Amino acid sequence: MTSNPPRWIASRLDRLSRLSRRNRRIIAVATLLGLPGAHAWSSFWLTTSMPNILWGPVTFVLFGATIWGAVLLYGFVRNRADMPGAGLDERQRLMRDQAWILGYRVLSAVILLATIAVGITVLGFGHAVTLDATTTTAIVLSVTVLIPVLPAATLAWIEPDPVEES
Amino acid sequence: MPRPSDRIEPVLHNRLAVLRAERGLSRQELADALGVNYQTVGYLERGEYNPSLELALRTAEYFGLPVEAIFSRLPFVPMSAQLYPDQRPGH
Repeated sequence: MTSNPPRWIASRLDRLSRLSRRNRRIIAVATLLGLPGAHAWSSFWLTTSMPNILWGPVTFVLFGATIWGAVLLYGFVRNRADMPGAGLDERQRLMRDQAWILGYRVLSAVILLATIAVGITVLGFGHAVTLDATTTTAIVLSVTVLIPVLPAATLAWIEPDPVEES
Repeated sequence: MPRPSDRIEPVLHNRLAVLRAERGLSRQELADALGVNYQTVGYLERGEYNPSLELALRTAEYFGLPVEAIFSRLPFVPMSAQLYPDQRPGH
């Protein structure tokens, strides 16, 4: 037995499917930068004498960007970033494959840049790089949350503006 | 050697929008007939997606026309110019 979603959910999903590429790109960037931004903000906040009251709202906004961004991206993409992609037509499969390729390129670039940064810090400046519990948690959390979102984010990034139904 | 960004994407012109309008079909109806998403029909019409050979042949089969009547590497001559070649503006 199949059941349709309630009307208010269906109307929101319909609006999400009509998001312009510009808005989708803004959401994708906010989603991918929110969580690392929250960790960076927390680290920065610890080293300054900013009032305590600032930490909560800013962290909430940055975490919220990732959480709500991911919800919006999954609402737009739905099953179109999945493998093997049953029910997708040839264009949707092509876009999905391009999104996965772009996602892995972005991931490779991030890993490469991080490795270069660590290499320069250690070999170039002779500083030791230590991974404390906070940094490790931040990296693990970011990787756990953001890598699964990456195909949806890249698909939302590359999908052209929607066509109005006629 | 040309860089990837210098590559010229092959442009495939089509008459899908005209054929769909002639038959009074919505994008959704044509999409259902071809077994694709209605957005894909829209992107085909806008020239933002080039169909596979299989989809092009399926489209030709659906409209009952030769594939070259629907898809072409060169821009199509407007139907009015084909039907009335001597009727030019101001003549």
